[in-house]
Amino acid sequence: MTAAEPTVLADLRGDLRLRTNLFWSLYGVWYRHFRVYTKTLLANATPPLLEPLFFFTAVAIGLGNYVQPGGFEGLSYRTFVASGLVISSAMFTAIFETTFGTFVRLVFQKTYDAMLSTHLRVPEIFIGEMLFAATKGAVFSTVVLLVTMAFGARPTAWCVLVPVVGLLTSYLFAAIGLIVTSYVKMINNFSFFTTGVITPLFFFSGTFFPIKGHYVWLDVLSNALPLTHPIEISRALFEAHFTPATLAHVAVLFAYIAVCHTLALRRMTKRVLS
Amino acid sequence: MEDLAAHSAPLIVARGLTKQFGELKAVDGVDLDIAPNECVGFLGPNGAGKTTLMRLVFSAIAKTAGELTVFGLTPMQQRKQINAHVGVVFQDNNLDEELNAAECLLVHALYCGLDHRTARRRIAALLDWLSLTAKADSRIRALSGGMVRRLMIARALLNSPKLLILDEPTTGLDPQVRHAIWAALRDLKRQGMTILLTTHYMDEAQQLSDRILIMDRGRIILSGPPNDLVEAHLERYVLQVSGLPAVPRLDGDIRHEHAGDADYFYANTEPPLQALHERLAAKYAILRHANLEDVFLKFTGRGLNE
Ligand SMILES: Nc1ncnc2c1ncn2[C@@H]1O[C@H](COP(=O)(O)OP(=O)(O)O)[C@@H](O)[C@H]1O
Ligand SMILES: [Mg+2]
Repeated sequence: MTAAEPTVLADLRGDLRLRTNLFWSLYGVWYRHFRVYTKTLLANATPPLLEPLFFFTAVAIGLGNYVQPGGFEGLSYRTFVASGLVISSAMFTAIFETTFGTFVRLVFQKTYDAMLSTHLRVPEIFIGEMLFAATKGAVFSTVVLLVTMAFGARPTAWCVLVPVVGLLTSYLFAAIGLIVTSYVKMINNFSFFTTGVITPLFFFSGTFFPIKGHYVWLDVLSNALPLTHPIEISRALFEAHFTPATLAHVAVLFAYIAVCHTLALRRMTKRVLS
Repeated sequence: MEDLAAHSAPLIVARGLTKQFGELKAVDGVDLDIAPNECVGFLGPNGAGKTTLMRLVFSAIAKTAGELTVFGLTPMQQRKQINAHVGVVFQDNNLDEELNAAECLLVHALYCGLDHRTARRRIAALLDWLSLTAKADSRIRALSGGMVRRLMIARALLNSPKLLILDEPTTGLDPQVRHAIWAALRDLKRQGMTILLTTHYMDEAQQLSDRILIMDRGRIILSGPPNDLVEAHLERYVLQVSGLPAVPRLDGDIRHEHAGDADYFYANTEPPLQALHERLAAKYAILRHANLEDVFLKFTGRGLNE
């Protein structure tokens, strides 16, 4: 270590103007996740992006040959599946970010300890985190949209709004992930959640086939599932056909977000400050 | 942010401060007054509550009972105002392993509320000051333990804190690095920094601290300037002998303690101990000044209490 340079110490002593406002706090947390994620972008983003595309080729293109020729709800089957996958891919990326990702940061990497030693408040830390998950969700939705288009899905002009629905979806599922994480003590507990909750959600929210009109109980169940609503909104965009039901789906999505956001912050505050 | 420089009153005040985890009182009725620009060293066996006490100060956990103010403000309720002026070096390194050294500092600088340009300037200055400039682009994994520790210190200084908390800053490091870190900390102290330091090393506490607090089982059991502590609580000299078959008869001025396979003979003057030394002719005997470690062991027990 060299002798201390006077300029450095003068600078250390000097008063800094710190930006302690909400915006800058959220940006700081968001930026950290962004930097860490994009540092190994290829390794991080390739598997979760390939997965929906596997589903698309296997189901929409492969199985699609055997599905009724007219598709569903006025959409070709490829387009129908694409309109679901753009949303479910946003859900998956968000849910993994705030279950496994958050847990590793909390328990193994002690990332939040470092954040909490600064002026950042717990809600700022986790809103920043959900915003990062939402960013990722919006990007995933867009990429899946473009690739499925290249493989024969036919979107409408309204589909420029798909990333927005992806963003809202991933914010919601990031919040749900945080709520789950706040209860989890060991990392393998998550497998109950992914297998027991997320997988059924994926299949019963209308990604691959229309849920409505088969059984009453299934209609009720499906309408209670949070993933159903953004998928219905996405489908309306792909159909360019909006009804009062579409508006209801938007309202339910926002209600879900409001409730889960509040719960997530309350639960994580309790968890990290104990 | 409020102007905290105006404070000349104690920086930290605690009265009966208590933190309980279930039944366990990790911090148990602690009273503290830490003056500005003071460097206070916390010594204590593992589990004494040092880390928990530090965590109370920077609002990482809520107290169970008692009073605590930092800069005259209340932790938890006013954590934003307090922590804007606090820097923390954690016991365990928690830099982002995916990033390189400069990036690690950059993300932390943004947490602290620095803009990108100010952040870059301070990162360059701090890396230079801690001789890490050549490692700016190195991944954390590629750095030695000593470099990571210095980087942790750099990170804690990004916001130009008024209070620096160091939790075992040099545990597990080689002597060269430890001395380098001590030099850096003394520099900071000369610049007016208030420092709380926990350590297992008596020499570290003695070299850096104006005042030492010895903790055991959540309580502060002893406090004072390092040299006064030795004077106040022990004789000046000690003869330390290991593997002694039987304790000899001692004259009145010598006090004896036994622990493990070692015997300790204390006296305020050297001659009686010198005489004893010759009389015992023990192979592993050493006559020396009593030091802080003797005080520490006297009060926290020479046996293992884990
Ligand atoms: N979050 C926690 N939950 C339960 N017990 C804890 C927690 N943190 C610390 N402890 C316990 O409190 C005691 C004091 O711990 P700590 O402050 O880390 O001691 P030190 O830093 O002096 O080694 C220990 O017995 C430790 O196990
Ligand atoms: Mg500790």
